[in-house]
Amino acid sequence: MIASLAILAVLAFLFVNRLVNRFGEQEKALARHLYEQGLAEQNAGRPEGAIEDFRAALTYSRDNFQYQLSLARALRDTGRTDEAETYLISLWEHSPQDGAVNLALGRLAARQRLLDKTLQYYHNAIYGVWASDADTNRLNAWFELIEFLLRQHAYPQAQAELITLAAELPPHPDLHLRAADLFARAQDYDHALVEYQRVLRFDRGNAAALAGAGEAAFSLGRYRAAQRYLQSAARLSPGDTQASQLLQTSNLILDADPFSHRLSSTERNRRIRAAFSQAGERLDSCAQSKAIDLKTESAPSDLPALRERWGEMKTKLKRLSEDDTADAAMDLVFEIEQETSKECGAPSGLDQALLLLAQNRAGTDRAGTDRSGAER
Amino acid sequence: MNHTSPLSPESSSVAPPHVSAATPRRVRRFSMTATSREEQFFLLLAMFIGLFSGLAVVCFRLAIDWTRIGLLGPAPQAHNLRVLFVPALVGLLVAVLVVHVFPQVRGSGVNQTKAALYIFNGYIPFRTAIGKFITAALAIGSGYSLGPEDPSLQIGASLASALGRRMEFSREKLRLLAPVGAAAGLAAAFNAPISAVLFVIEEVIGRWSAGILGSVVLSAISSVVVVRWFLGAQPLFRIPSLTVARPTELIAYAVLGLIGGIAAVIFAKSIAYFRSRLRSWPKWTQYLQPSLAGLAIGLIGYLGAPQVLGAGYQYMDQAMHDQFTWKMLAILAGLKIVATTLSFVTGTPGGMFAPTLFIGAMLGGAVGGVERLFYPHLTGSTGTYALVGMGVLFAGFLRAPMTSVFMVLEVSGNYSIIVPVIVANAVAYVISRSLQPTPIFDLLTRQDGLDLPSLEQQREENILRVEDAMQPPTGPVLNADETVREANESVQQSAADVFLVRLSPTGWSSVTRDLLKRLVSEGKGEMTLGSALPTERLPYLHPDYPLEMALRYVYQTPLVPVVSRADFRKLEGVISSEAVLNKYRVVSREDES
Repeated sequence: MIASLAILAVLAFLFVNRLVNRFGEQEKALARHLYEQGLAEQNAGRPEGAIEDFRAALTYSRDNFQYQLSLARALRDTGRTDEAETYLISLWEHSPQDGAVNLALGRLAARQRLLDKTLQYYHNAIYGVWASDADTNRLNAWFELIEFLLRQHAYPQAQAELITLAAELPPHPDLHLRAADLFARAQDYDHALVEYQRVLRFDRGNAAALAGAGEAAFSLGRYRAAQRYLQSAARLSPGDTQASQLLQTSNLILDADPFSHRLSSTERNRRIRAAFSQAGERLDSCAQSKAIDLKTESAPSDLPALRERWGEMKTKLKRLSEDDTADAAMDLVFEIEQETSKECGAPSGLDQALLLLAQNRAGTDRAGTDRSGAER
Repeated sequence: MNHTSPLSPESSSVAPPHVSAATPRRVRRFSMTATSREEQFFLLLAMFIGLFSGLAVVCFRLAIDWTRIGLLGPAPQAHNLRVLFVPALVGLLVAVLVVHVFPQVRGSGVNQTKAALYIFNGYIPFRTAIGKFITAALAIGSGYSLGPEDPSLQIGASLASALGRRMEFSREKLRLLAPVGAAAGLAAAFNAPISAVLFVIEEVIGRWSAGILGSVVLSAISSVVVVRWFLGAQPLFRIPSLTVARPTELIAYAVLGLIGGIAAVIFAKSIAYFRSRLRSWPKWTQYLQPSLAGLAIGLIGYLGAPQVLGAGYQYMDQAMHDQFTWKMLAILAGLKIVATTLSFVTGTPGGMFAPTLFIGAMLGGAVGGVERLFYPHLTGSTGTYALVGMGVLFAGFLRAPMTSVFMVLEVSGNYSIIVPVIVANAVAYVISRSLQPTPIFDLLTRQDGLDLPSLEQQREENILRVEDAMQPPTGPVLNADETVREANESVQQSAADVFLVRLSPTGWSSVTRDLLKRLVSEGKGEMTLGSALPTERLPYLHPDYPLEMALRYVYQTPLVPVVSRADFRKLEGVISSEAVLNKYRVVSREDES
């Protein structure tokens, strides 16, 4: 009797096995069909339809990783973040090291502006496992994270990520150019300039890199270097108005700067007198536009006092050969330019050049030392 | 020590009542060997029952899925005419099959299996298994709001019964086979062996019985192994991460238990009311009732809630993953109650397990959603509440509290959720019991004109114990080291005729006044009682033994000693046949009054 039961059990087992296999194949085919239908819906801009199809596909292939991920992404993209998160968390619990899942979770956290979670999931994605094209996916995730940090004005974190990223970038000009742009957006102009220079080592005629390097150098107050980069950029891209404007300002600064190296004393004195005269005019015009009486000492502004100091200094300008007088005169010029910019707004032309010199006198000092780098 | 307590280990070696003391040892050994072989064969058969039940349930699930895909399409959606009309049309076919071909397959199958066990000596026609398979697959596959678990239970029981009959088992064994098959079928359907075993004990057998527990467990495990072999080991639901951070959050789960308990009562009362009303309608309406219910269910699906069609496991899964808003969850819970009531009361074959879980999951999710709306600091996710909600409805509606707890644990595989589950289930159970004293399965059997035992009633019964009927000894307690003469003198002051003798080092015997006198007259007055009395010892009882156990002994000996569990020589009292009968009379009078 037991033998009969065993034989019957074996036969039934084989029959059911065949049945299950056949049904399993049908279910897989059905799931694939529904999934592809969902992808088509998604590509056609009908995410709701895609969600329905992905869900239906999952009914027949419940544990399919790709289907679940697609559903979660579709849910996220339609703003159903809670639903997406639960799916993604479930996937994450199953494969915490998976790059795609972590990236999706990172994007979700970024959408919710959760800085810590975003950093956590993006880092998991960057250092996680990718089924294919791992290097590209990792770099893209990294760039995406930095973009997010910049949007959140989290500059220190963005700079930290960029420094690490730049060190690991393969020698490809596009990637270094992207990193350099991001450095510039993160206001880390030193690293930005280094990255632009790296790009230029790969491709000397890269207009974007030249313009970027010019902007970075300009921001660092290295106007001589900026001038040279921007001149090259303007030659390669004459339509680049921003580079042209910066080039003009650089030219003005370099022409007006009395502290440039290798200037004759005559030229230096001429520049100081020109700057001093310009500052006086700026002071008068600013006071006039704001209806400030420069002769009244009790006026609620520093301009009258500055005017008085300007007048006193004017008499000393005859003794410009004395270093102290030159420095004192330029200090007063810088003070006037800064104060008038506060009172009357940003200046233009020579006043703008003087203001920039005032803001970054040290940068001007270094300009000469950068010349060789720029020429290289 | 020579104990002869009926439950003491030694008692198991005492010859069974039907084997006399004079039976030769080799005959006794043969008898025991034969019993042991029969037990082993029964266990082996339980494994085969599990295997066949598992295979049947796999086919049943495939049949349901095939039917659903074929009739409703791969992804049933609202505003699809198929969804509107298919349930009604299939309802007509099912009604014809139920009325003319398989009249035994109406309803869920749990009560039918229970009736087979208690009324029909374990007999369930094999035709019932076939009928249940076909009609339930059609009904569930076409969208009736019913589940595959209870039919699987009946299919398993029917297979077991057929196998037992084929083996020409005795009536007693045949009766035991039905729950073995039922557990196998349910375990396979739910992929949860512990819950299946507990449910069969709580609802089918109706009492804890060690006799078949091994077979039930073995068959359940075998069937689950088979199902996992074919359909994978993954649980019914993908359980999200579950946490309960603060004990104060248990209040939130208690509220869920309260609401779930009320919902369970509404569900149970609706089924009981409408089922009895529909059964009173003319017989010809039985052809139309399932169809009309199907039309109503189809309309619900067509108008925007296709989730209520069928068992709905994928939607429970989605509810656990925050896929619905709390409003949608609440609507689905309400609509599922309506759809399941309509499906069930019209006699459409199918189970209530899955719908109960569905309603619980939706209700749990909805309650969790609302609670989190007002108390955002609650850490439990919607999935946690949905999972606990399943257990809540199970405890409140099916009134199987232990199964409900283990079911959630088994489904989730997460023991950190046990406290919320117990709290919520207990509240739901208490609410349900107070508002609906008769459990749903008992209600249904009574509507069918049957009276089957239920574990819930047994739990409530006041068990009489030996201590309730025992009395202090009327005469002196003699010691075995006393002389016969001393003993005879000490009993002179007593009016009793029988006296207990405390043996040394342990054990009890008794002696009559007449025997003492006779021994003295025979010149044995200086002998100790221990050496003068026959060696036969009295059985003894402990105060906490059930009173019915005393009945086994009080007719063999006029006085049975009741001794302390800590010291067998310490007499707590004595019990006699008269005392036992008096106690039963008193209790009977109290019950009548």
